[in-house]
Amino acid sequence: MITEEFEPTTDTVEEEASVEACTKCTACNTVCPVARSTDIFRGPKALGPDLERFRSPQEAAVTPGLDLCSGCKLCEVTCPSQVSIQEYIRRAQNQGAREKGRSLRDWVLGRTRLLGKLGSMTAPLANFGNSNPLFRVLMERFVGIHRRRPLPKYQWLTFERWFKRHPRPVKPRRKVAYFYGCWVNYNDRRLGERAVAVLERNGIEVIVPRQQCCGIPAVVNSNMDLARRYGQENVRHLTPIVEEMDIVASSTSCGLMLKHDYGHLLDIPGSERVGAKTYDIMEYLWMLHEAGELDLNFETVPMRLLYHAPCHLKSHGIGYPAMRLLKLIPGVKLEEVDEGCCGISGTFGVKVEKYDLSMKIGSRLFEAVKAAGSDQVLADCETCRMQVEHGTGATSAHPLEILARAYGHG
Amino acid sequence: MKTDVAVIGTGLAALAAARTVQQSGRRVVLVWPGLSSLYFLYATVDVIGYPTATAADPIAHPAQAVARLIAQEPSHPYARAGMKAVEAGIALMLEWFKEAGLAWEGTLDRNFLLPTATGTPKPCCLAPASMTAGDLSRPDPIVLCGFTGYQDFAPEFAAANLARQWRTAEVSAVRITAPGYGPDRHFTSIDLARSFEDAAFRDAVAAQLRERVTSQGARVGIPGVLGLTNPSESFAAFQRAVGHPVFEIPTVPPSVIALRLFDRLRKHLQEAGIEIIWAAPAHAADVTDGRCRNVLLKAAGHELPVEAESYVVALEDWVDGAFRAGVHTVRDPFFHQPIAWSNVPTDRTAESLFATQPFEQVGYALTERLQPADENGTPLARNVFCAGGAMAGYDPSGTKSRGGMAIATGYRAAQEALAA
Repeated sequence: MITEEFEPTTDTVEEEASVEACTKCTACNTVCPVARSTDIFRGPKALGPDLERFRSPQEAAVTPGLDLCSGCKLCEVTCPSQVSIQEYIRRAQNQGAREKGRSLRDWVLGRTRLLGKLGSMTAPLANFGNSNPLFRVLMERFVGIHRRRPLPKYQWLTFERWFKRHPRPVKPRRKVAYFYGCWVNYNDRRLGERAVAVLERNGIEVIVPRQQCCGIPAVVNSNMDLARRYGQENVRHLTPIVEEMDIVASSTSCGLMLKHDYGHLLDIPGSERVGAKTYDIMEYLWMLHEAGELDLNFETVPMRLLYHAPCHLKSHGIGYPAMRLLKLIPGVKLEEVDEGCCGISGTFGVKVEKYDLSMKIGSRLFEAVKAAGSDQVLADCETCRMQVEHGTGATSAHPLEILARAYGHG
Repeated sequence: MKTDVAVIGTGLAALAAARTVQQSGRRVVLVWPGLSSLYFLYATVDVIGYPTATAADPIAHPAQAVARLIAQEPSHPYARAGMKAVEAGIALMLEWFKEAGLAWEGTLDRNFLLPTATGTPKPCCLAPASMTAGDLSRPDPIVLCGFTGYQDFAPEFAAANLARQWRTAEVSAVRITAPGYGPDRHFTSIDLARSFEDAAFRDAVAAQLRERVTSQGARVGIPGVLGLTNPSESFAAFQRAVGHPVFEIPTVPPSVIALRLFDRLRKHLQEAGIEIIWAAPAHAADVTDGRCRNVLLKAAGHELPVEAESYVVALEDWVDGAFRAGVHTVRDPFFHQPIAWSNVPTDRTAESLFATQPFEQVGYALTERLQPADENGTPLARNVFCAGGAMAGYDPSGTKSRGGMAIATGYRAAQEALAA
């Protein structure tokens, strides 16, 4: 009820898109991969800005299907009014979990670094368990991890420990800090080694600052308080670093957390300064190229490659720097497979009740990949790569690995 | 990032500009603030439907009407683009539609008169082939078909309206049940369109229609939901199964017909290696010595500079974020200039919903070459060119001229950008 006559005193142009900015155009609903795949999910418009009007800090307004939002953020990418659609849903999911409590599984899945530490310490055993059918049946029954979802392999030698013994380059032109993330540290050290090799080849010394999990696994498992703690820790470690150098990340979603979500979703003070200096590694290398500083002495890489652009990369708002870079390499035949979300969305497609939905979302991409018959599928995001491999049997790589190969690091 | 021409916007003006640059062989990058105007403003390309917003009689010959308008109103966006740009722009788009595999029909020499979802006859110049059997210059009776539970198309309402305005032949309405769409399910056109990709679903709907539509020679009007990714095939199969000519009627958003156009053209550009930067609205321009050095996009965390030889600002209306209105002023995202609100009456809206709306007139004042200009007519930047809804006095709603104006100005702005 309006009790006072509205008298504007200032002429402010609203900068931050709010729920009021939603024009109900439904663009978000047409691109939502979950709404496309199940009729239980009412779509981002209804669960985001529409329901937001009925939510309060005291009440979560948890509605059926709310937990089916996978957090791909395509709704936000698509919104012509820049409404933070997914953030409304995310906050409601988090509020719901705070009221109802979290399952053991979601508690564990939100702690990727803890899992990584345990997994790499016990690497042969963990990998045996994760691929053992009987163990997987038990894991499904008691933890809620779908038995058919391949889990990432852990490695005994972490990236951190590898890097400690890595010799420093002589006379570098500049320095950059590498946010390697849990994936590179515990599951894919070789990607990190190649990132270092590519950067060093271009005269850049890599610094590995102290770091915590970026926090996105906690965010997507409705534990924003935990994510905020991780974020605060990272901001504390990285703030002095960005005084001297930029940060690069080789994981799409880690990069997005540092750039955007620390400030926007988690309200971490001081995070803007870190975010402003953070670049996706391919974005950074493309900037080097445009500055005339990228070494273009590539070896021929005779490969037919398919590029899948991860949803979270679209949220970076930087276009597809990987495609631009790889087109510079002689011999590379590169095509984009433009079939939208792969469906895994981090830990979403790992869960027993969401596995089938996740595979259904990805089915269009899988069919396109199978029909294209390329040598390898490229994606900047590690869980996209896991999903494409699982759904198609194709091999996958980070685009950086092709660049490394062109520099002679097979 | 660097390119020859950066086109900012998502509508037909932006797409026509991008295509023009692409055909010239120069590099082009598209900057999209979100999936917007094309997606909810266009199911057809309207060149000119009425001579004025209040005229009762639709225009039959768009080319002649545009030529008359150009002669009469030198500041009209069509006059600024020029007749050559109208013709060349439409030809460019028709050729592009064909190359991209979109089945569209129409020429500048005639208008179709097609029924809308509310049963109003609407003049339009180019339309998808799946719509043209609805042309009201044909005398065949019409059966409008709706789906039970589908809120965005009421066949009885549309049929009553159409019967009142079009007295040539009989109009009737039927409602059928779409398999799987029970009373408890909330659904929109996009859900139906996805279901129509499935042959069994299509056949089940067609079987009901075959049974319900009995009058000889009748044609069936159905909401525009007949398939999404491969509409020509879905449509042909459906029409065969119904046994009557079928035509689609565009719906309120989500407009599947507009979405097909948008998706196909977007993919076609991307297949040709043209990059689209999503989710990064332009919010500032660096102008030094009268030249735009770069446009800054609001990417995650930091600004992304797009450095081009020239720029086409093809933002449509308010929906694309071309302008932001404060309580007293309107600002643009590039030059942060207060926009010519002053040549508009203080009231932003007209009393009648259907009258010419003052807020629609807002936009950049322009030079002869479509450069945004200050009040003295000096370009704000030599290498920035303007198309579509960001132009002052651009008001396509009343005269039904949105697509034509977008394409003509987009084409012309791109030509100027290439010459800059």
